[in-house]
Amino acid sequence: MLPPSRFATREPLAATQTADTRALLRSASDGDRVVSAHFLAGALFLTLAGGFELLALFSLRFGGLSPVSYGRMESMANITVMLGFLVMSLTGGIYYVLPRLTGTRLWRRDLAFVGMLAMSGLVVIDLLAVVLGLGGGRQPFGLPWWLHIPMLAVLTIPFLVTVMTVRRREETRSFVTLWFVIGGVTWLPLLYLVYFAGDLPFVSSLAETYSDLFFSAGFVTLWVFAVGGGLFYYTVVKELEIPLASRQLAAVGFWSLGFAGAWWGTAQLVFGPGPGWIDGVSAALGLAFPIGALANASNVSLTLQGHWERLSDKPGVVSGVIGLYLGVTVAILASFASFPSVGSITALTAYWEAIEYGALFGVGVLLVAGIAFEAMPRVSGRDLSSLDRPRSFNRWTVIGAGGVMISLVTAGLVSGFSWVAGSNSAAYVDAGDGWAAGAGASDVLLLVAFGFGVIAFLGQLAYAATVIGTVTIGRAVPQEILVYGSDDRQGTREVTVVEGEDE
Amino acid sequence: MSELSAAAAEALGVPEALVHRSAAARAAETGASIDDVLTAWAGGGDVPVAKAAEAPPTDEVAEETAPAPEAPADDIVAPLSDEMPKPAEPVSPGQVAAPTTASGKPPILVGEADNPIGVLVGAVALFLAIFLVGLVGPALPAEIPGARSSDLPFSEAALRGQHIYRSVGCASCHTQLVRPVVADVDLGAVTLSDSNQVLGTRRFGPDLSNLGARTTASQIGAVVTGLGDHPSLALASEDLEDLVAYLLESRTLGTAAENDVTGTDDVGDTPAGEEPAQP
Repeated sequence: MLPPSRFATREPLAATQTADTRALLRSASDGDRVVSAHFLAGALFLTLAGGFELLALFSLRFGGLSPVSYGRMESMANITVMLGFLVMSLTGGIYYVLPRLTGTRLWRRDLAFVGMLAMSGLVVIDLLAVVLGLGGGRQPFGLPWWLHIPMLAVLTIPFLVTVMTVRRREETRSFVTLWFVIGGVTWLPLLYLVYFAGDLPFVSSLAETYSDLFFSAGFVTLWVFAVGGGLFYYTVVKELEIPLASRQLAAVGFWSLGFAGAWWGTAQLVFGPGPGWIDGVSAALGLAFPIGALANASNVSLTLQGHWERLSDKPGVVSGVIGLYLGVTVAILASFASFPSVGSITALTAYWEAIEYGALFGVGVLLVAGIAFEAMPRVSGRDLSSLDRPRSFNRWTVIGAGGVMISLVTAGLVSGFSWVAGSNSAAYVDAGDGWAAGAGASDVLLLVAFGFGVIAFLGQLAYAATVIGTVTIGRAVPQEILVYGSDDRQGTREVTVVEGEDE
Repeated sequence: MSELSAAAAEALGVPEALVHRSAAARAAETGASIDDVLTAWAGGGDVPVAKAAEAPPTDEVAEETAPAPEAPADDIVAPLSDEMPKPAEPVSPGQVAAPTTASGKPPILVGEADNPIGVLVGAVALFLAIFLVGLVGPALPAEIPGARSSDLPFSEAALRGQHIYRSVGCASCHTQLVRPVVADVDLGAVTLSDSNQVLGTRRFGPDLSNLGARTTASQIGAVVTGLGDHPSLALASEDLEDLVAYLLESRTLGTAAENDVTGTDDVGDTPAGEEPAQP
C-alpha cells in the first residue's frame, strides 16, 4: 500500500460553493484574483489590438484613405497584442499554474497585481507616444527609447514572482509546464533588454535592425510558442485527467524552441548588409523552430489518443490543439523562407507579415484561449457564459487568421516573383505611383487579407466576450480553492484543492 | 454564523461565510451535522468521513507515473473529493505500482524529480549563445581598409528628417536597403554593413535609398502629403522640409570624394569616381 501524500494530511474544506466572489476576494485564494485580473485585462487589450490590426490591414491596401499611416497603426497593433494581450494573458496563465504545480503560494501576489496594473498603464502610454509621433520608429513597437526602461522593469516582475515561487516550492517533482514557464519568464526580459540595447547611440543601423528582428522572432518563439505550449500541456492533462504521453518529447519541444529563438528573425534580412555566413547559419539552425513546434503538437496528439471525442465540450482544449497545429504551419513557413534561395523571393515582402500575423493573432490567441477557457471557471467559480462563443471564437479565428496568412503569403510571393522578374524594379524609377502599378496583383490579395481580418476580429471579440462573460454572467459552478498551511513565515506547506458542488 | 464558524474560520484562515457554506456542503455529503463538521475544523473532534471513492483504472497511468520508492507527491491540482485516501490496488509481481494521490487519481500533473533552477540556468546559457552568434556576431563592424563606405554625412536638416522618418513609421513600409539579388536591380549600389540609413525590413512601398538620384524634392513632398495611395503624413512645413532633405541625402554611397570609391562588382552601382545624380 502506498502511503498518502503529505499534501493530503490536512483535512480538506469539503464541498464549497464559491460563487460568492466577494468572499473569495478576501480569502486565501487571492493569487487567483491576480490570475483573473490578468485574463480580463488581456481580453480587453485583445479587442483593442484586433481593431488596430484591422485598421492596419485597411491602411495597407488603402493608404490614401486611412487617417493614420500603416507604420503607426501597425506599431500600435503590435504594442497592444504583444504586450497588452500576450504578455498579460500568458503571465496570468503562469500565475495560475505556479501554485498548482509547486505546492506553494504565489510569491508576492501584490507585486504580481501591481505588475498587471503597470503593464496596462504602460501599454496605454506607449500607444499615446506612437500616436503623438514621439516614437523611435523601431519595429515592432516604434517606441521612444525612454519608454523601454519602465517596460523592462515591468517585464522582470513575472520573472521574479516565478523564480521566487519555484524556489519555495514544496513539490519536488516538476511537471513539464514548469520548464516552459521558467524558460519564458527568463527569456522575455532578456529579449527586451536586447531590443532596448538597439537604441544605444553607438549601435549601428545594421545592429539595430538585427536587434529588432531578434526581438520579434524571439518573442514569438520563446514567449508565445514556449509559454503558450507549456501552459497548454497543463490544460490538456488537467482538463481530461489523462497523463502526458511523453516527458521526453516535451523536453525536445522546449529546448528546440529555445534554440530556434532568433534564427528565423535574422533570416528576414537574407542577402542584407550583414555577413554572408549568417544566412546559411540561420537556415540550418532555424530548422529547430518547426522541430520544436511539431514536438509539442505531436506530444499533445499522442496524449489525446483515444480521448478526442471528449473534446466536444472542452473548447479550451480545442483552441489549444488548433493553436499548436497552426503553430507548426507558421514554423514551417518561417523555416522554409529562411533558406537563402527562398529568401531571395520572400524577404522584405508580405510573406513575413503573414508569419507574424499568424503567430500573434492566430497561434498566440488560440494558445491563450487554451489556458484561459480552462482557468477562468476554476478561479472565478463561474462557468463559461456559453459554449457557443468559444466555439465561434475557434471557428472565426481559424478562418480569419488562416485566411489572412494565406492571403499575405500569396501577396508576398506575388511581390517577390514580380520583383525577380524585374517588373517592379522598373517601378522604383518612378517612386510612389510606379510602385502601385507594379504591385497591382498583390493589392487584390491585400484586400482579401483585410476581409479575412474582419472575420478574425469577430473571433477576437468572441474571445473577449467569453472571458468577460464568465465573470459577469457565468453560471455558478464548483470552484478550485487553494488552501495553504498557516505557517506563512516559512512559506506554505500544504495545498489542498477543494472542488465543491453547485448549490 | 456561530462561534463554531468563527473558530473554524480562524483555524483555517478562510472567511467565515465560506467556511459555513463548506461545512454545510460537507455535512450534506457525510450525513453529519454542520456543528460536527465545524467542531472538527475548529480542532475539537474527528472530521466526518464520506465513503471511499473508487480507484481509477490503472491503465490511465502512463510514463509520468514512474516507480516511486517513497511517498509520491500528490496530484496537487486535481480536484480532491472529501474522501480519505484509498489504498492502491495490489499489484502483481513485476508490475510497476502506480503512485496514487489522496483522491485516488493518478498523479498526472507530477513529473520527475529535477531542479527547475537548472532549467533557468540552461535557458540563460542558451540565450547568451544565440545572442552572441545570432546578433552580436553578424552585427560587428567589418572594417576593410580602402573599402567604400555608406556611412553618409547627413546635414543637420537631414538628421532631423531621419528622426521624423522614424517617428512616423516610414520604415514599416519602406526599406533603405539594396541587396545583391535580381529583385533589386536598378535600385542603386548594394547597401554596406556600415550604412547609417534606416534599413527597414518590409517593402510594402518602394525602396527609398538613392531616392535623390531618381526624383525631386517636389515629387517627394507631393507623395508625403498624400499623392496617390500614400497616406498623408500631415507634417508641419519645417518637418516636411527636413524629411525631404533626409530622403534626398539618402544614398547607398556617399559622394565619390567622401567615400573613396574603389570600384565594385555590385549591380547598379554608381561608377567609380562618378558623382551620384543630385535632384
